Amino acid sequence: MAAETQTLESPNTTAKGFALTSAFWMMIATFFGLLGATELVAPDLTENIGGIVFGRVRPTHVNLVLFGFVTPGLLSAAFYFIPRLLRTRLFSERLGVFTVVVWNIALVGAVATLAAGFTQGREYAELIWPIDIMVVAAFSLVFYNFIMTVKNRQEPILYVSVWYVLAGTILTACTFALGNVIWKPDSGALVGIHDAILLWFYGHNVFGLLLTPLSAAVAYYVIPRACRAPLYSHTLSLLGFWALIVVYTHIGTHHLLQVPVPTWLKVVAIVDSVAMVIPVMAFLINIWYTAKGRLGEIHADIGAKFVFTGTIMYFFVSIQGSLMALPDVQRVTHFNNWVVAHAHIGVLGFAGMIALGGLYYTIPKLSGKPLYSRFLADFQYWMVLIGMVGFTVVLTIAGLIQGNAWLNGETVYRVLPEIHVYYVVRAGLGLMIFSSAVLGFYNIVRSLFGKTGASS
Amino acid sequence: MYYPYFIAYITIGLTISLVVFYWAFKTGQFTDQQRARFLPLRDDADHPPVKATRFNRIEIYGLFFLAAAGLGATAAVLTFALYFSK
Ligand code: HEM
Repeated sequence: MAAETQTLESPNTTAKGFALTSAFWMMIATFFGLLGATELVAPDLTENIGGIVFGRVRPTHVNLVLFGFVTPGLLSAAFYFIPRLLRTRLFSERLGVFTVVVWNIALVGAVATLAAGFTQGREYAELIWPIDIMVVAAFSLVFYNFIMTVKNRQEPILYVSVWYVLAGTILTACTFALGNVIWKPDSGALVGIHDAILLWFYGHNVFGLLLTPLSAAVAYYVIPRACRAPLYSHTLSLLGFWALIVVYTHIGTHHLLQVPVPTWLKVVAIVDSVAMVIPVMAFLINIWYTAKGRLGEIHADIGAKFVFTGTIMYFFVSIQGSLMALPDVQRVTHFNNWVVAHAHIGVLGFAGMIALGGLYYTIPKLSGKPLYSRFLADFQYWMVLIGMVGFTVVLTIAGLIQGNAWLNGETVYRVLPEIHVYYVVRAGLGLMIFSSAVLGFYNIVRSLFGKTGASS
Repeated sequence: MYYPYFIAYITIGLTISLVVFYWAFKTGQFTDQQRARFLPLRDDADHPPVKATRFNRIEIYGLFFLAAAGLGATAAVLTFALYFSK
């Protein structure tokens, strides 16, 4: 009982810090996305403005979405629920706050260096060495804080969310270091095809071993609580966890099926991409059965509503992903906007939605008062949902046009006008998502620091 | 040469995973699964809702303006794209 009181009395400074980090960088990240989308529509618009040429805007957008918006959002929820699940206090709030500061310095550094043209030129691993080191340090600090909290726990059993968060943070610290080749500070790369293999081993793990486990952890916490029902099966959840660890760690080569990498590696990647159905369905069956007959409760809680929607998107992105790993399918879908659509269902529809859900679920608990405006949060929900589904539709269509043209040997300049309209629609939807991020930031800041709530 | 990196990674990863799995097994992480299902529910001391106070007018107008501007711009772009661009 004493421990329970202690946990509730915790200041939750780290969780608040990560919540603000996520809400703020969501605005910046989606702004860069919008800028990039606009440049695809009107390439001459930003001509001769070196800092914001597409080649610099795109990595800035991607890195900020991954490490600025989604990961901190998920970590914010984790810093709230890990001590509670373990019946103890966070090992060190001070260390947590220090981590938030390091994290934000790394993000500012990322934007500044990418805009100035400092890049290692490898997708998802563009950041230069000093920033790589800060990222690895930040993940290691988060892991240290969590593992020490586990050590001090009063609850002997580790709930599945704890397993996921621990695995996600330590595996990312390791794979980020490996994938960014941090032992070669100058280039951050190996040479030739080996570099591509290592890069995509890491690139895939950013989604599979960072976003996916952290999102699963948040869903496994929020859904039972919102439904006020126990998890359908903890055994099944652990099965899903270990299956993910076994299968997800080595399927990165499915990004390189049309590249001369060894066939055995492709076979491993394809077989295990299909085998991903096991951890995915173990997770979804568990969450959906927990929520069965309780959708009213989920609807009543805006955080849970975001999270539950994220799980539905996880179903779509994973089934699509398993199919995309089949070489015959990929002959059409690779190298075009189909993959960009898939990326947005995964990162925004699944992990981003769950990150927002985690934020909206925990913020009233962090601040001790209701959300500033449930209406604004609902509004943001619809804007993100419509924007994301819209992205998927237009980019998939554009991708199919490009893929077909590619197969038929058409030249690129004949295809570009055909997909122009889809790019315009995509930029419009991007504007909507950016606007929603601004609303979300306002709502979250007011919820954390404001004295009053808004009427609904 | 990617083999040494991969072999090192696989060996280290597998070893750590097996050690952690063994630890989990030994410390009874796979027992008492019925109780584990209820772990998220135990801590139910959510703060009672604070009553919302009167809404600041300027704020609501500002926010509506922002939201309407976002949606309006989106609609304008879509209309332009679908009907007016060649
Ligand atoms: C069973 C699960 C999944 C499988 C089997 C899978 C499979 C794939 C494949 C084969 C590609 C490469 C497509 C190509 O280049 O032609 C890909 C790309 C991608 N996936 Fe997934 N996916 C899965 C889930 C996810 C999830 C959950 C996320 C996000 C959290 C995600 C994010 C991405 C992203 C961002 C890319 C684009 C990478 C790039 O820039 O080229 N995927 N996925």
